[in-house]
Amino acid sequence: MSPTTELLRSDHLTRHFKIGSALSRRTLHAVDDVSFAIGEREIVALVGESGSGKSTIARLLARVYEPTAGVITFEGKPIKAIRSRRDKLRYSGLVPMVFQDPFASINPVFRVQHGVLRCLKLHRPELSGKQRLDEAARVFGVVGLGADMLQRFPYELSGGQRQRVGFAMALAMRPKLILADEPVSMLDVSIRIGLLNMMAKLRDEEGVSILYITHDLASARYVADRLIVMYAGQIAEAGPIEDVLTAPKHPYTQLLLSAVPDPIAPLSEVTDRGEPPKVIDPAPGCRFRWRCPLAIEECSAVTPALAELKPGHEVACHVAQTGAEARAFAS
Amino acid sequence: MSNPQLPDPVLEVSGLSLSDPPVPGPVLEVSGLSVEYVLDRGSVRAVDDVSFTVSRGEFLGIVGESGCGKSTLLFGVAQLLAPPARICGGTVRFQGKNLVGLTDKQLSAIRWRDVSVVMQSAMNALNPVTSIGKQFKDAMQAHGVRNGDEIAARSAEVLRMVGIDPVHLRSYPHQLSGGMRQRSMIAMAMLFTPDLIIMDEPTSALDVVAQRAMMVQIKELQQTYGFAVIFVTHDMSLISHFSDRLMVMYAGQVGELGSTRKIFDRPRHPYTRGLLEAFPSIRGPRVPLKGIPGNPPDLARLPTGCRFHPRCPLAVERCMHVTPGLYQMDETLVRCLRLADGDTSQRTDEHRSLTP
Repeated sequence: MSPTTELLRSDHLTRHFKIGSALSRRTLHAVDDVSFAIGEREIVALVGESGSGKSTIARLLARVYEPTAGVITFEGKPIKAIRSRRDKLRYSGLVPMVFQDPFASINPVFRVQHGVLRCLKLHRPELSGKQRLDEAARVFGVVGLGADMLQRFPYELSGGQRQRVGFAMALAMRPKLILADEPVSMLDVSIRIGLLNMMAKLRDEEGVSILYITHDLASARYVADRLIVMYAGQIAEAGPIEDVLTAPKHPYTQLLLSAVPDPIAPLSEVTDRGEPPKVIDPAPGCRFRWRCPLAIEECSAVTPALAELKPGHEVACHVAQTGAEARAFAS
Repeated sequence: MSNPQLPDPVLEVSGLSLSDPPVPGPVLEVSGLSVEYVLDRGSVRAVDDVSFTVSRGEFLGIVGESGCGKSTLLFGVAQLLAPPARICGGTVRFQGKNLVGLTDKQLSAIRWRDVSVVMQSAMNALNPVTSIGKQFKDAMQAHGVRNGDEIAARSAEVLRMVGIDPVHLRSYPHQLSGGMRQRSMIAMAMLFTPDLIIMDEPTSALDVVAQRAMMVQIKELQQTYGFAVIFVTHDMSLISHFSDRLMVMYAGQVGELGSTRKIFDRPRHPYTRGLLEAFPSIRGPRVPLKGIPGNPPDLARLPTGCRFHPRCPLAVERCMHVTPGLYQMDETLVRCLRLADGDTSQRTDEHRSLTP
């Protein structure tokens, strides 16, 4: 499925949340039957609107949530089998998270080196105090921060610098896969590119894979190798990023693409309101059908499964799977 | 300004009309507005000598990075500043009347009736414990509308204008989606069909599809009802198709001001070019981008000379100690010494990399 060696895969991953009171039990299907793989040295962009289940997937992969059903396999072993404290620690070092808000994710009362040194002490106890400081300076260098930054307090750093500290912390644990949940969405546009370039450098020079969760298709295109488009807890479309963006098959991907602001292109007609779907106790059928201009009868009866239309390019859409070339939304 | 080669900085900005407004005559004239935050260790000037006009029915976009003073400027225009911020100079003329120095009582007659403000986060701007309808009613009663039927009819009407079913007048904010909350804020701003609606990043919490729908709706309402809009955002590409004129702010000052189309087609200020080049494109070849090096300056420790010089690819030694004015180039105002000299040969065509 993926061109590189497989690092992590999820099979039929599902996470439901119980909501409502005892009398009106309802189930929110945050993630429903999601299967994908992430290869080594690969940036995979996970794109979707808020509530589509992107962050839930990151938390499932980070073992913050237990899946309701489905299996996550990391380096060939199911992560459910991780029981001992040592193995859990090893896994969280290999698959760390970087959070969206750089102002909330760093402890404000300690110097920024504190977090990095703690990570090193916990995850790489073989290092001496001196080695830890050297390693902290090294990872700071990799993310583009000077060693003098180690002694600073978070309030002295800009948003972009703080987010780099977040990546340095993750990097100190010698990760295989960084789960980056909207890492640039709170940063200013002039700073974002620098951080995206740094992510590409981590992949190319440090051999780290990144799951880049975002709602910004343009930035996904800039760094990612593959794209997964989520809609209402399910994968709508997945594949090599240029293939998906140049020939989007799923009407939702087409809608997303047509809504991206582009100063160069003429304004496209979008009449869709962008109302998020309801995934509480969903009935079978395609979850996009209410917004889809191409919907056929089958769409309200059968939930479309992902099917490979071109090598590596999968789409969950009845209409696209019949081979129709119809475009729901022009971009 | 000792250099004789420089054209005179344009001081009288308010006289310029850079677009073709539907009805002539400015609805808002801001001239020389400066806002300070008074702190223990001295004051910080967040808005420095900003002048612009908004014509009737015009859409003015204001873009800049966080900390460039764009929100402070809006608050200054709407007279919503609270200590430690204060206006330390300039005037804000709304329909000819200077708003600076008016009392709250005098202002409340104008607010919401003639000027309304849509805040960044509808989640926080709406009262979570009362229904949407009750909040509309409060606003109308505050302006002396007592007739219950009239209030109900108008409330339902404005909700319908933004495409929300009037049954939601009974809904509480948490029962609405983010997009619907933001649209009901806009509906509330239109209760009295004001002449000017000020919007502070009203779409930043929304997804791209909802964001696009919202922009189209704002533009349609504006064209139908003829109010002027000041729209503040950090996302330049968002307003490229919607605003008539664009003002780019940097470090509390106007960096570039002119017709939106002209600025996108030919950005002049190196900062504007940098901003445009910082957006990866969804189409065309995948080219490596550099963004703008460095960080926006701390307003308490501003660089000497041109405030952009530490990050500027065009900067020469003179930029470090000569403070640039606003120079008129064609119909655009630009704060850049190098452009005023006409010596920009090295970069004039570089922004073309944007075109596919």
